[in-house]
Amino acid sequence: MRGHRDLKWICLAAVLCALVAALVPWEIVRIVAAVPLTLFLPGYAIVAAAFGSRDLAPPKRTVLSVGVSLMVLVLGTFVLNIPSFGITTASWAVLLPLVVIAAARGAAVRRERPGRHRRAAISIRWPAPGSLAIFSLAIAIAVAALVLGQKPLPAEDAAGYTALWMLPTDSREEAVAVGVVSNQQDSHKYRLRVNVGQEQAQTYRVRVDPGEERVYEVDVPPRANGRTHVVATLYRAGAPEKTYRRVTSWLPRQTTFP
Amino acid sequence: MVLARLESLPAIALSSAIGLFLCSLANALSRATLAPSPLIYWLGLLVIALPIFFRLSSTQPSYRQRLGLILLLGLALYCVKVVHDGVYFTFSDEYVHAFNAENIERYNHLYHFNPAIPTTPYYPGVEGAASALMMLTGMSSFGAGIVLIGAARLTFMAALFFLFARLSGSARGAGIGVAIYTGTSNFLFWGAQFSYESLSLPLMVVVLMAFVEREAAPAPARGAWAVPIVLGILAIAITHHLTSYALAFIFIALAVLYRVMKVEKPNPWPFALLAAGTALGWLLIAARSTTGYLFPVLEEAIKAILKTASGEEAPRTLFGQASTVAETVASTPLAARAVALFAVFVLFAGTLVGLRQVWRRERDKPLVLLFCGGALAFFAALTLRFAPAAWETGNRAAGFLFIGLAFVAIYGAAELLRGPNLLRRRLLLTGALGIVLVGGAISGWPWDIQLARPLQATAKGKEIDAEALALARFARERLDGSRFAAPEADARVLLTPGEQVAYGGQGPDIEDIVDEPELADWQLPLLKRHHLPWLVADRKLNSEDTLRGEYFQVPGQYGTALRPRGVVHKFSRIPVARAWHSGRIVLFNLRDRP
Repeated sequence: MRGHRDLKWICLAAVLCALVAALVPWEIVRIVAAVPLTLFLPGYAIVAAAFGSRDLAPPKRTVLSVGVSLMVLVLGTFVLNIPSFGITTASWAVLLPLVVIAAARGAAVRRERPGRHRRAAISIRWPAPGSLAIFSLAIAIAVAALVLGQKPLPAEDAAGYTALWMLPTDSREEAVAVGVVSNQQDSHKYRLRVNVGQEQAQTYRVRVDPGEERVYEVDVPPRANGRTHVVATLYRAGAPEKTYRRVTSWLPRQTTFP
Repeated sequence: MVLARLESLPAIALSSAIGLFLCSLANALSRATLAPSPLIYWLGLLVIALPIFFRLSSTQPSYRQRLGLILLLGLALYCVKVVHDGVYFTFSDEYVHAFNAENIERYNHLYHFNPAIPTTPYYPGVEGAASALMMLTGMSSFGAGIVLIGAARLTFMAALFFLFARLSGSARGAGIGVAIYTGTSNFLFWGAQFSYESLSLPLMVVVLMAFVEREAAPAPARGAWAVPIVLGILAIAITHHLTSYALAFIFIALAVLYRVMKVEKPNPWPFALLAAGTALGWLLIAARSTTGYLFPVLEEAIKAILKTASGEEAPRTLFGQASTVAETVASTPLAARAVALFAVFVLFAGTLVGLRQVWRRERDKPLVLLFCGGALAFFAALTLRFAPAAWETGNRAAGFLFIGLAFVAIYGAAELLRGPNLLRRRLLLTGALGIVLVGGAISGWPWDIQLARPLQATAKGKEIDAEALALARFARERLDGSRFAAPEADARVLLTPGEQVAYGGQGPDIEDIVDEPELADWQLPLLKRHHLPWLVADRKLNSEDTLRGEYFQVPGQYGTALRPRGVVHKFSRIPVARAWHSGRIVLFNLRDRP
């Protein structure tokens, strides 16, 4: 690849991007590395190998590079599915640089010798300061639009609710976890009553804020035979006799369908 | 001077950003249940598009500037879909494909079962590509999907521009052609979702672009262009069934036309053979379930056409809701219907004028003849919208046929721009393109959900979730990898972000089990046979509606109608345990009983 600077650079970039994407723990850094590795470099190398020394206008080369990279990802999935290790971070991080290096090697062979082949220099005209300012403003507004689109907002007319759940705490099923989750618009007070069989009952006063979850653990003593019926009932503070939510379980649980 | 400044690229970029912000604001207000005027949203769309359309109609911009303009248009319109999403996928097919992508990441292999659409794991192109981004970046399927489809969308815009420019010989015409394409009914939302066609269609356009470039290239350079064509054909075959069949049809038709017209260029039969062979081979070897998925839909469509034509069945009402929509939804206003119908009229007029010109000037090009056929077929496919079971087939075909229509309409637009008083003519074309864009968006997506609904909200500064999402989170955190039967909207959310195996719909007939107020004899055995111990009973009437059922209910606006209490009580009476209860949704565990 001596003399073909673009090919040398893409090979280096592919290896570096793969290492960063596979090894660095920070997502934003990995995104910066993985996007060119997945969406540009394989296509660029394959297009370079296909076209050799033939001229291809930079816009078409760029679009083909992205398009062919997408094709490589699709076909790469199919290829990586064959070996037993399958489709993993490591296998992608090896496959993509391999594709880039192999195709770049092919491109170097197909291209004319360096020196005899001259590429037209790409001239980049920087925009005037005024234009740059307007572009920056446009980008800022677009980013604000995207951020606004991702942000959960107060929705005062949305009907809030509180959910109650109950599950055994572990496989021995000698205790249950009872959860109260508020998706209400305001803080609410409840009374939670957990009946374990016919003998034992526990009551909790619960105050939950919006988005908050409170979990209570209740022991269920093992029985010599039969199952223990556990019932958790939630009452609103303002309506203490009216069942608001109710969940049930029979422990130990069966493994068959009715 | 002022016009020149307004037409400059920075000014157009600024107006696109402002338009996007208006769309985002309208969606944000809608998510905040403030019922904003839809005009904000439509104004935003026009602020994005009209300056670009106006500039594209000018003779001034260079080839690269036009390319930049259509990329800006594609990016801004794609972002309109992104700001509609929030932080989760919300379109019904997206849950299905995101589930597949997460399965690839989880199990490191393809073809894991998908209970919602069992065919989708056998066309793993889009999920496989997304899984590469997910694994290498650590992003969720949502983030990876947004980036992947965004890249595909930009590739589509540029490749379509190159394709039209090469065929028409005019960069100005190509820019206008791409602008016309944004008026197809599936462009704004359906074609931008995280789904297999959103990747396969751009790849198909790249293949067609490479094909026409190959035709124009000197003989020694043709081999180079064959590389993206071959790679594209292979990639499309394992990405999307319909696109692979469409591509095979195009190449077969081209091979025949080359022969019949005695074109003095190499006949593309090798590409036809490859495209047909890979599509058929993949169908027979890997994706046999496709026949059971696609062909009944086509069969129903044909039956519906015959029944509607013979008067046996009443025609479908245009702008009506699908039969699965249980909720009473706001119908499309008369003015919006008028815009959508006027858009079809504008396209028809452009096509008629364009066809005449194309026939005069370009009829020696086989691909151009195919595009003419596509343009005519588009209008024929519009009639399918009158047949109840065929409208979806017609709608899906439009994305492919519209490529031909957009090309033909370039010549219609050129006729409009010819003559004195260019400024007035440009304004007229810009207005027509605006109507086509807005009309397409109106007819492509239900009126009542053009703006986002709240899936997540904040209260006292904390995040709160709609019931279906809260259940999905509970299942993900505490019921790892369980099997559910649920109404379809809940089932989709349980797939992702819930990460559970959730069945809904009619295959098997979960729909009747969760919707009927009485427990029939066959229902529990069916759940047992499919090993579905977790059952979601949802009283919301729209819980089967995958576009509307998963959101917060908003009294006075939407989603408040309920099913009879029996849909819950019938399971309590068995009796079986209730593991989760939110008021309208109850999660039963059929294996937990006395």
